[in-house]
Amino acid sequence: MEKTKELLLVHTSMERVTLLESVNVMLTPQFYTLKKEALPVKYAYQAKKIAPSLFEGLLEEGSSYEYMVYKEEDTWVFIAFDTEKITAFLESKGLVGGKVAKVFFAQQALDSFTAPLALSDKEALVVIDETVVVVPQSALSEDEQPSLVFGEDFTPKGGVTLKSKGMNHASMITQKQSWALAAVFMLFAGLFLVESSRYGGETKESEAQLQSLYEAYPALQSSYARKGIADKYRSIDTAERKKRDAIKAFSGMIFKGVTLTSLQVNEKSFKAQFACADAGVAKKVKDLAKKAQYKTAEVQGSSDLSIEGTL
Amino acid sequence: MNINWKAYQNELITLLAFVVMLGAYAYKHSQVSTQATQAQTVQQSLEELKEVIALKKIWGDKKTSKKMKKLKTLIPASKVKWSEKSKKVTASYKGLTANELNKLTTKILNLPVEVRLLDIQKTGSSYDVEFKCKW
Repeated sequence: MEKTKELLLVHTSMERVTLLESVNVMLTPQFYTLKKEALPVKYAYQAKKIAPSLFEGLLEEGSSYEYMVYKEEDTWVFIAFDTEKITAFLESKGLVGGKVAKVFFAQQALDSFTAPLALSDKEALVVIDETVVVVPQSALSEDEQPSLVFGEDFTPKGGVTLKSKGMNHASMITQKQSWALAAVFMLFAGLFLVESSRYGGETKESEAQLQSLYEAYPALQSSYARKGIADKYRSIDTAERKKRDAIKAFSGMIFKGVTLTSLQVNEKSFKAQFACADAGVAKKVKDLAKKAQYKTAEVQGSSDLSIEGTL
Repeated sequence: MNINWKAYQNELITLLAFVVMLGAYAYKHSQVSTQATQAQTVQQSLEELKEVIALKKIWGDKKTSKKMKKLKTLIPASKVKWSEKSKKVTASYKGLTANELNKLTTKILNLPVEVRLLDIQKTGSSYDVEFKCKW
């Protein structure tokens, strides 16, 4: 993807540029220090670990260097670069942080430098001993005059992303930490989504049951119809249950010594009269009636009891 | 203000993931409450429907007229005066024994009818009953 971007050759004598879109840049050896070593290491990360010791004494003290390591046949190529200095230079030439996508080093495009490449009237880039270097044009022989045209086809594989001074200060977390945190958050997000998709199983079961009942009783599909029917039958059910409960309660009051003399149940109330053999029996009946929360009254001049209630 | 977003790339990645997580949590939360409300509504409708069906089955039973005929034949015809008009019955029973009264009231209690009047009077050793109902 990066290869499709314009590749800009950055050197100290370049003109200031105005960019509309981000570009890739290729730095000349003016911005980095190169060292080649044949080391008995297998992986680039191992080589990168020993990079600082390789450049000891070669780099300016007090600067913060970063390293790029890659393999050129049997040799490891080490490139040390000062991000802050490069960033400052790029910014001075109009290449602000957001406009620079990837940064490459001229050494990475070694094979593309098939002839000298002019940087300015005075300087040129040439390959000497498999190393890209800046030389004065005056040092070039006549048959070595700069003829190479720089373009996107010089874009090598694997560049670096510059972290500007501002970036380092602004960023509170490292890229590794940010990806780790993002992974954790995304994991939770996934869990929440999976969990949310699990809800609704119970509803589906009830809905299916409801649907099958609607199919069996199509007249009850309308909530108004349902309410009308429910209201009608509910009031009947309540009243009739009360009547039947009262009759059952009165039946329970008939035992030895108690005779039912009358019972009247109508749509509003109920009333029963019992003839009791003696006061003890009458008290027992009275207690039962009170337990059922019915009104009791003794019939004057006898041990008979009158019990009544409303519906 | 020209903000260099690239400078805050790490924070942006983390923030974006965090926002996605919050979104997922909010979605889950809304799903839970929506489903709970929906489940409650469905359950309520289901219970209401079951109740209506049960009530209709009892009080709107089409076999009630048939069952009422059995009430007529429960007691010897000589003791019964029966009048039935469009789902309304008025019945008078005279001289019922305690057993017959018991049988009759038990039957009445188990019939899905609206009792408009049940009047039992003891006359000597027997009982007279007046019964009015509709369904």
